[in-house]
Amino acid sequence: MSYDTNKTWLYRIVGRNIHLWQYLDGANTDTLGGHRIKLPNEYYGSQLIYPDEDITNGLRFEGTAFIEPFVGVDPNELDGSDNPTLTGETATETSHINLSRMLSLAVVDYLKAQLADRKGEIDRKEYYMREFWKKVGDNESNKRKTSMSFPSSPHAVR
Amino acid sequence: MTVLEMMERSGMKNTTLTVAWIKDAIHLMQSSYDDNVATWKTSITDGTREYPFPANMIKLSSISIKDTTDSKYKKIKRIVHEPIVTEDRDPE
Repeated sequence: MSYDTNKTWLYRIVGRNIHLWQYLDGANTDTLGGHRIKLPNEYYGSQLIYPDEDITNGLRFEGTAFIEPFVGVDPNELDGSDNPTLTGETATETSHINLSRMLSLAVVDYLKAQLADRKGEIDRKEYYMREFWKKVGDNESNKRKTSMSFPSSPHAVR
Repeated sequence: MTVLEMMERSGMKNTTLTVAWIKDAIHLMQSSYDDNVATWKTSITDGTREYPFPANMIKLSSISIKDTTDSKYKKIKRIVHEPIVTEDRDPE
């Protein structure tokens, strides 16, 4: 039975896999004459071992996923008053990109950058890539509202 | 915005190449920003330490292990350096 898994489990990234380790701090003991004794030939102390139990759905990854890039309906238009139902489809010229309007405009800049790159126009490519990241950044900041305040000095003109 | 509209705005003429670059752009954006966060679960097997990353995962945020005493997923820490292994039943 796993317990305090945040303290007793560790992972290590190895290429496209992770290695899971369980942390143990103890010793193999036996009971002799009513007293628990450490076995002299057994290892004791801190050690890492392989997972020593089966846990159904025990490992959970959290991260960003590759979304369905092409959908059948415009993801930026409401279906009546509901969000549109998006289903992935094979890309055709009439497919919609599964992105917000701002990110779609960013992708247009990306396409222009790649075209410029093909023509060897590095300055134009860098310009459009800057525009691409600027729009991606704007899209992120649209989700957050921050306020800034500055203290005014005692002799400030009010 | 449709693929055709993107092609007209950017001056692209090849649909296949446009679709490929759109996928590249989405991948690039997802690598930097958490626009589409997902979770994946897999079972842990006794004696097995190696588990592959989910195939469609772009960026890892965290890894959790289920605590079976209270049925909660708890985030675990990453080992930066390779541990010193004195005995290993699965030598590499």
